[in-house]
Amino acid sequence: MRVEDVVCTFCGCLCDDLVIETDGKKIVGVENGCTLANEKFMGDHRLKSPIRREGDRWSEVSLNDAIREAAEILLDADRPLLYGWSGTHGEAQSVGVHLAEILGGVIDNTSTVCHGPSIMAIQEVGHPGCTLGQVKNRADVVLYWGANPIEAHPRHLSRYTTYADGFFVKNSFRERKLVVVDVRETESAALADEFVRIEPGGDYAVLSALRAIVRGRGEVITGPVAGVSREQLVRVADLCMKAKFGAIFFGLGLTMSPGKNKNIRNAIELTEELNRHTKFTISPMRGHWNVYGSNEVFCWITGYPYAVDFARGIAFYNPGETTSVDILRREECDACLVVASDPGAHFPRACAEHLARIPTIQIDPHVNATTHLCRLQIPVAVTGIDAEGTAYRMDGVPIRTRKLFDGDHPSDTEILERIYAIVKEAKGA
Amino acid sequence: MATSFVYYLQEFLRLEWMQKFLFAKTAPLVTPPYFRDYPELTGKTCTHHLFCMMACPAPGAIDVVKVPTGWQPRIHVGHCIRCGLCVEACPNGVLNSGRVLESMFYDNTRLVFTFRIDVDHDRCMGCGNCAVACPVNKVIDAEMGHGGHASTDGLLLIVREGKSKVLHLEKCTGCKTCEEHCPTEAIRVARLLEAVQGPEVEEA
Repeated sequence: MRVEDVVCTFCGCLCDDLVIETDGKKIVGVENGCTLANEKFMGDHRLKSPIRREGDRWSEVSLNDAIREAAEILLDADRPLLYGWSGTHGEAQSVGVHLAEILGGVIDNTSTVCHGPSIMAIQEVGHPGCTLGQVKNRADVVLYWGANPIEAHPRHLSRYTTYADGFFVKNSFRERKLVVVDVRETESAALADEFVRIEPGGDYAVLSALRAIVRGRGEVITGPVAGVSREQLVRVADLCMKAKFGAIFFGLGLTMSPGKNKNIRNAIELTEELNRHTKFTISPMRGHWNVYGSNEVFCWITGYPYAVDFARGIAFYNPGETTSVDILRREECDACLVVASDPGAHFPRACAEHLARIPTIQIDPHVNATTHLCRLQIPVAVTGIDAEGTAYRMDGVPIRTRKLFDGDHPSDTEILERIYAIVKEAKGA
Repeated sequence: MATSFVYYLQEFLRLEWMQKFLFAKTAPLVTPPYFRDYPELTGKTCTHHLFCMMACPAPGAIDVVKVPTGWQPRIHVGHCIRCGLCVEACPNGVLNSGRVLESMFYDNTRLVFTFRIDVDHDRCMGCGNCAVACPVNKVIDAEMGHGGHASTDGLLLIVREGKSKVLHLEKCTGCKTCEEHCPTEAIRVARLLEAVQGPEVEEA
């Protein structure tokens, strides 16, 4: 069967124009999707049934037993951590927040190790952003700062920015200028009209220099700034000021390099300066397909976007204290539920070691690095393939993902609702 | 000093030498008919295939510019080496130089361009820059140009199974836009220039 307008649930681009060919419960063809989408849909490495660690071996358990055991582990814990959520749909995230509340635990999503600093900067100075549709239809200058869309969001350039013909930009790449700022010459830099190579850790200084030039105080810059020549800084600033509509996209090169949230704050304030001359926007390049959704869902239920601690009975948020890495580093949590992400592959070693020591439960369709740290793994349906739900694109646009066929596994929502029901009954709530 | 000056005068003031110098019998300075000068416009309509530019071996010797009446090739004389390949490659006979067009007509010869697109699947990220930027694709399917959704199978390039795929090679005009905008150097366009003799129908 041929299914049109399928939503790809891999990266934050959330492309919704794929054409998928299915044969029963198998996907046999992917059209319009990038190579990452192709692997996501065609890959066949699902875990077949729930598994439990027994000594140094894995044994298969029934779904009911697995759910009961997961609930018991969470009920026994004094400070459970519910981490992940970016690779599942909003409905499951919502159940997760309620589960954290009833358990009095901490709920955190993957932005804690990616765009957390961006959110902190946005909380300080706001977010002059726009949807990707605006960028596609209007932007004649596009900047990628510390991001390599060709490898991380392959279709970003062809679907939303440089290469797409827009309503007011009829001749796509011939009318648009592409600026790439990075510490190394990436694949995206190969396409750039202007590639700005900065020394590692020099983002803040370069942003400040650009702000000074845009403010008309260019004379304070006497020589190169973090490896960028004065001439190039002036050229880039002029290009931005002359734009009819400019868009900055920043990635982890900016959020996770020295300066962190202050880098983003500076970038947002550069955008603000540029708005004195023309129209400019700034947006984060969100990684997981629904990491933006997890921030949204957490926000509208608890008031905070990530790292929410319910230990006091009310929602408490303090990045650096209630963030997953810090909790694990302090060896504070005594049980962990990982949903739809892979901290084993991305967290510091000390945190991964603590995850291996405490009872860790993973709800994920695939065997990944976290599987090797956990006690119990429950496979679920993959949202966008055999489960459906709401997801938020990197620009905050909610898109309903589609179910292509009925699979053999329950969805995240179903599993979490069942765990929630057991916990609720035990708590007598 | 004075002696050498006298010798000098004696050498040049000989009658024989002066006759040869002033009344030399050389061949008349006329341009032979087979001489190829810089290509000139014949007045025929340019269809903007750019084959002249593709065939030209001298960098910067020819370009095609937009004029009020349409497109028109322009020769840069400082760069042109007068090889005449542009004249032969043009499908419409827009340019002429010497007897190139004439001899092509009598000998029934032509220069034919064909194109070949190779995609290195190990390098291709399936980003779709090639398929979206492709000017041929844009004409066939506007949706493709507006963000990479293929709504027809008649496209030149398409992203299928996560890799760029050539569907209709015969539609390629050899512009190399795809190659220029591939971030991973995964797509390569080869322009094959062949000299053929004989009527077109026989070749087909």
